[in-house]
Amino acid sequence: MTRPLFSRGDGLLLLAALTLVITLYAALWHNEGHGAEAVVLVNGQRWARLNLFHDQELEVPGPLGHSHIRVHDGRVRFVDSPCPNKLCVHTGWLSQGGEVAVCLPNRVSVKILAQDPRFDTINF
Amino acid sequence: MIVAVLRILLLFSLVFLSACERKPAAYHEQLLVFGTVVEVSLFGVSEQQGRQAVARLNEDFEYMHRTWHAWHPGPLGRVNQLLASGESFSAPPSILPLIQRGAELSRRSGGLFNPAVGKLIALWGFASDDPPTGPPPQPAAIHAILDQHPSMDDVVVDGIRLQCRNPAVKLDFGAFAKGYAVDRAIERLQEMGIKDAVVNAGGDLRAIGRHGDRPWRVGIRHPRQPGILAAVEVEGDESVFTSGDYERYFDWQGVRYSHIIDPRSGYPASGLSSVTVFSRQADLADAAATALFVAGPQEKDWLPVARAMGVAGVLLVDQAGTVHMTPGLTERIHFETEPLPKVIYSEAL
Repeated sequence: MTRPLFSRGDGLLLLAALTLVITLYAALWHNEGHGAEAVVLVNGQRWARLNLFHDQELEVPGPLGHSHIRVHDGRVRFVDSPCPNKLCVHTGWLSQGGEVAVCLPNRVSVKILAQDPRFDTINF
Repeated sequence: MIVAVLRILLLFSLVFLSACERKPAAYHEQLLVFGTVVEVSLFGVSEQQGRQAVARLNEDFEYMHRTWHAWHPGPLGRVNQLLASGESFSAPPSILPLIQRGAELSRRSGGLFNPAVGKLIALWGFASDDPPTGPPPQPAAIHAILDQHPSMDDVVVDGIRLQCRNPAVKLDFGAFAKGYAVDRAIERLQEMGIKDAVVNAGGDLRAIGRHGDRPWRVGIRHPRQPGILAAVEVEGDESVFTSGDYERYFDWQGVRYSHIIDPRSGYPASGLSSVTVFSRQADLADAAATALFVAGPQEKDWLPVARAMGVAGVLLVDQAGTVHMTPGLTERIHFETEPLPKVIYSEAL
């Protein structure tokens, strides 16, 4: 009697391993330096987590009023904020992991998250 | 036999999969203190250690903010009143080290970094929570202060007693208090046994240790456009400080007036867009960034100041966007702009 090449159990195990590989790949293998997500902080506390590939407009409440944040095409920026010098708006679009824009007067900030960020910190 | 091989292969695939697990991440927290955004990144700490360490730094920064603020009422405000009286008085222990270190750095900069010109900074409207709107001050008012030559040498320190010989002196540590505070924060983390950290206060940072198996990655923001000018890796113990004309300024009748005042002319320095300084001590990097911004784009002007202050590296961006750099940085700086900027290398430091 010849044994079959695969037993039923071997086949199941192979299938399970393949599924696991594909699932883990999808879950963990991001485009590493480029962030797919951003976090909005108010007063240093997390206010929202954003998917950068889901275009949207946000009105984020701070002590001076609402900061207007736009997500478009994998990038995020301050469009307007109730602060005197608009440094947050001038920071422009953010897309690289670790990039950050801050409206200090309204205590709102947005930062790009990445699994292996291009930058740990930004000097300016 | 084949089955046995397949089984072994499967086992191996599991081993390889485990190598795909997430790389250990740094602990990040953001504080809105010290009149700015302070970002703390720690490596090799638990969530709980991270939270405790950052809470401690938050207290320290709040204390330093209250104590050293140039225009809010507090210890520095009282010191300025007493200095103006011309009488001798006991210095608050929270202020004395700042005065001594400020005087030392001011001397080394040849007076281009001058924390005694608080009256000039206030005259230009930069000693205020709101950005000034102009007009610029009258030349006569500027010269009334300049003609009295306020300098740190006018502040006589005798033990813990202070006396000021020049009524034009008003202390404003805005050009180096941030660096001094970052140094204290790094010391605090080291006391707590933390070896791998970055403290970034409003864009200026000191990094110790590494991010696990690699150095810390720092992006230097472009002074004239959104995004990053250059990437640099930092490890061991190093500070990276940038002063730029885009940080605080006002426009009046088509002219931009930035917050970095040349203590020789009494007017904002205008030859550069930004200066980035590398050195171990953050307070020195901070003071040097200001002094070099004032010195301007000519190598014969800024290089002697950089040497006298003892910085490790300098990167200047002039008004035309040309980068001037000390040659020691060549291997470390990777420009991120397209096209690449024009770079002029200076003599070695």
